[in-house]
Amino acid sequence: MNGPTRVNIHKLPTGVPGLDEIMGGGLPEFSFNIIAGTPGCGKTTFAHQFVFANATPEHPALYFTVLGEPALKMLRYQQQYSFFDHEKLSSSIRFINLSQVVLEKDLGAVLAEITKEVEAASPGIVVVDSFRTVVRKAQGGASEMELQSFVQRLALHLTSWQATTFLLGEYSDTEMRDNPVFTVADGLFRLYQSVERNSIVRKLQIMKLRGQASVPGLHTFRISDAGLQAFPRTLGLTGRKEKKTARKRLSTGIAELDKMMGGGIPEGDSILVAGPSGSGKSVLATQFIAEGLRNGEPGIAAVFEERPQEYATRAKSFGLDLDTPQKNGNLHILYLRPLDLSVDETMQEILDAVKKIGAKRLVIDSLAGFEMALAPGFRTDFRESLYRMMGALTGIGVTILSTVETTESSNAYPFSSYAISFLTDDIIRLRYVEIDGQLRMVLTVIKMRGGKHSRDIREYDITGEGMVIIGPRLKGYRALTTGVPEPLGRPSQKRKSPVKPAGRK
Amino acid sequence: MVDPSGAKVQAALFVCEKLRIPLSRLSGTAGYSVLVGRALALAKAEYPSLVSWRIREDGSLEVPGPAGQGRDTEEIQKAGAALVAQLLELLATFVGEILAMRLVRDVWPDAPYELIDIETEKP
Repeated sequence: MNGPTRVNIHKLPTGVPGLDEIMGGGLPEFSFNIIAGTPGCGKTTFAHQFVFANATPEHPALYFTVLGEPALKMLRYQQQYSFFDHEKLSSSIRFINLSQVVLEKDLGAVLAEITKEVEAASPGIVVVDSFRTVVRKAQGGASEMELQSFVQRLALHLTSWQATTFLLGEYSDTEMRDNPVFTVADGLFRLYQSVERNSIVRKLQIMKLRGQASVPGLHTFRISDAGLQAFPRTLGLTGRKEKKTARKRLSTGIAELDKMMGGGIPEGDSILVAGPSGSGKSVLATQFIAEGLRNGEPGIAAVFEERPQEYATRAKSFGLDLDTPQKNGNLHILYLRPLDLSVDETMQEILDAVKKIGAKRLVIDSLAGFEMALAPGFRTDFRESLYRMMGALTGIGVTILSTVETTESSNAYPFSSYAISFLTDDIIRLRYVEIDGQLRMVLTVIKMRGGKHSRDIREYDITGEGMVIIGPRLKGYRALTTGVPEPLGRPSQKRKSPVKPAGRK
Repeated sequence: MVDPSGAKVQAALFVCEKLRIPLSRLSGTAGYSVLVGRALALAKAEYPSLVSWRIREDGSLEVPGPAGQGRDTEEIQKAGAALVAQLLELLATFVGEILAMRLVRDVWPDAPYELIDIETEKP
């Protein structure tokens, strides 16, 4: 005999891209929710997106505006968003202004008016925007007891109406701790908007969501013509697959380098190409992408330091055609230059592009440019964010080649200035060395998690064909990694650091 | 016998009164009063005969004396129509023609809208 079954809570889509994943699948039906935040942080737009995504003529939405913003004015601006559907007004979404009741009557009348409208319409969604003004009104004349009673009665109504309900308001952290309405709420969403140096950073937090596992932490979001878009912190990581032990090797487009790497880059790896300015990092990255295209592997190049056309033109100077694959949809050059991006937003953009063309290879050129494109507030989290991004992308089978600029020194051999080398599976280090009165370039495969690799230090050059490895292992010198080697057999002597050349692109 | 000019005034009053209820629900009584007050001010500039018309606190129109008494019928008819036109134009200015038409359709669902020359609403 079967026992009583658990209630099945239906989850409603929020209408906000990315937010359903953060919520753990959507917003519980018949839940009573509070959206809190300062003016301009997106509370109303969030509520509108939910309303437009879910309201139907059978289960309409009632949207009560109080003192904050008359519905006419709200409609004037909200209709600019792409989710706004004129056809839904009146039949599925009804706006009711309560300003007169709030101004002229008491809390009981406000509740009576809301109740009357709700009972008449049997809505599926009820929104009170902005609830804070009701409370302020009450604080002016009503006692604390009356206020709490009103809040409790309203919450009781809202949870008993078989409707998914929202209160929108401006609340400080202190108010959110002390106000009884927050205890009653099933869902509590906080939207933040802050200015960090010259950038606006928007974040949202699910402080409470009964009955389901939401993703904790602060998630960045953006408000565009399409309304709110949220960028979950864990994007893609949940579906991460274990890497196979025997993996296909991807050619870098440089046969000798492939040999040094034991046959190429293991598919799904993240590889870091580190070196000083002008050492050929971007050239190597372009060859990697172009080789993939030759082998039928679509690619994405996320460039931060030059525009897509400049990138393609530079590739052409090495005999690499990036224009044709761009036209036929096998290559997408993402130019991410705005100065207030979040990593999550960038990651979403890259992930969308990867999914769109089925990319197998991704170039991030460069990490320094990437960091500069972020809002200052996100730069402090760069390393952590990078970890999440690389995990998410390699988790869906993309092989990532990132470039990073290093500062040359004769007494250190750094792999990056971000202490991120542990995040990558493989590292190739480029550097200048002074040999026989010439400034020459050498490369080394420093690390490969996927297996054995050459330990050789090989000389290379940048020619009309791109990066070309021009010789066998450099023998006859010691201290090559310092950049100022000594021929073997000659007594070691202290020398000055080499002169750093002008940057080459 | 019905005063023909009075009937014309009544028509304008009737239209404004019918719009008052749904628009007050949207923008509040005070919001609607301001809107129709602005429409009246604009219409007065064109038709000075509206100078004695007033907006009550609840947004309804107040026309002193028996409607249209002693006035030119055609003038009153045009003035009333101008007031309604200004009100609808203000509505369209604020929320756009599509939404304004939708609000009007909700009030008069059976009106022959295909005769109205609004670009976005052309049949």
